[in-house]
Amino acid sequence: MKPIKIAVALVLAATVAGCADTYGGHSPVGSDKTRDRGTDKKHLSQLKAGIWVDPNGCDHWIIDDGVEGYLSARLDKYGKPVCSGAAPPGVATGPFKKGTFIADPL
Amino acid sequence: MANYFSNTLRAAVAGALAAGLAIASTSAAQAQQRVVSGERYVPTIWIDPDGCEHWVMDDGAEGYMTPHTNRQGIPVCHPVNVCGVMNSDQLFATDSYRINASGKAKLKEFFGKSAARAYIIVGHTDSRASDAYNMRLSYNRANSVARVAAGVGANIIDVRGYGERMPKVPNTSAANMQQNRRVEIICVK
Repeated sequence: MKPIKIAVALVLAATVAGCADTYGGHSPVGSDKTRDRGTDKKHLSQLKAGIWVDPNGCDHWIIDDGVEGYLSARLDKYGKPVCSGAAPPGVATGPFKKGTFIADPL
Repeated sequence: MANYFSNTLRAAVAGALAAGLAIASTSAAQAQQRVVSGERYVPTIWIDPDGCEHWVMDDGAEGYMTPHTNRQGIPVCHPVNVCGVMNSDQLFATDSYRINASGKAKLKEFFGKSAARAYIIVGHTDSRASDAYNMRLSYNRANSVARVAAGVGANIIDVRGYGERMPKVPNTSAANMQQNRRVEIICVK
């Protein structure tokens, strides 16, 4: 039982590391950081966002793209934070896990 | 002209720094060099559902994102989520922030039909009269619009007045000034 568990853990570790480095057939990421590589490859303009509400009640765009996570302030056209009451503080809402088919196990 | 040169110079310096190159100062008097050690991180643009741009980078297992703003802190946006602009002349008499009857009806109709979850109301004036006076007038007008909106159940999350500081067009003619006298309604989906 134990060796099997270790083997599974090793395979999982290799899979996760594969997205980051030269392991698992993924080539290293150069200076061009404009696309998601590997299994779920796409240009980053395709990301699907939800809204995360910060402790002050203001909105941020949140994207869970498999191994990568993104967070960026939601600003109105004058540069002020948008605090829309989309959710209670500390809550993420909307399709922020919908842009990738890679499951988020954590 | 001087401003133009300083801007181009600044852009050139920024470009060279980002490239991690040694750059020589253009001033002949001090021919000093600066070397920046760094890694090249080239971003792309992601456009949020409001139509505003963000810098985004995928570094393999890490993702990075930050709003794309200009040097004044104003976000770079595409006109995707423009909602309503009310010309002040149709709502208010000169120097007044009391909305006339037809203006009230118009606003009620607008907010009754609009399906946005929340609204930001922003008042503006033209450049006549003092800055302080215009800041006060635009804020009072925005508040008047917000009161009508709240009266028909609209969710108002912010009310602001920018006076003459955010003109839509230069205040160079009567027609332009009329365009600048406005109350903007930003719809938040």
